Amino acid sequence: MDASIIGIVAILAIPLAGILAAIYLVSRLGRGQ
Amino acid sequence: MEADMLVRDYLGRLEAAAWPLAADRRRELVAEVREHIESALAEAKERDEVTTRNVLERLGAPEEIVAAEVEGEPSARFAPPGQVSIERAPAWGFSEIAAIGLLTVGAVFLPIVGPLIGLVFVWASAQWTTPQKAVASVVVAGVLLLPILFLFGASVGAGPF
Repeated sequence: MDASIIGIVAILAIPLAGILAAIYLVSRLGRGQ
Repeated sequence: MEADMLVRDYLGRLEAAAWPLAADRRRELVAEVREHIESALAEAKERDEVTTRNVLERLGAPEEIVAAEVEGEPSARFAPPGQVSIERAPAWGFSEIAAIGLLTVGAVFLPIVGPLIGLVFVWASAQWTTPQKAVASVVVAGVLLLPILFLFGASVGAGPF
């Protein structure tokens, strides 16, 4: 696989991971304990 | 008995109106209201139809109670007299802001480290349940693993065959 594709995936995946988790957590905020 | 039927009907309407709430919270709300009705009737020392109707009217429509609950403002009006109603902690505290900030903006400025510190704040917060924290951790770990899997795929693809 092309190294540039791996680089792009890596660059996109890092913020994406946090943003997805943040969206989920914000949607659950206040409905927890 | 007419009064009991009124209470049952009211609680049934409350339960039906409370469908947007989580099952646990719905049961809790119905129990709280039932308890309040019982204590109000005990205080009135009457359990006839008129007294029951008055008590239920003072409580308001079940839909209004649910609406207040959905807005995150548990109605204080059915707190028994002399008892302080339990107030919810505000949803956004330092841990929550730090967690969301590090998971989003932090991921750009502190790649990998930012979201990981953000997860520490998520676990430190009392606003999310353990399963919710676990889901967030799995999402972060899972998406962060993508590049590693791509790298693994690339190295396998670049093998001798």
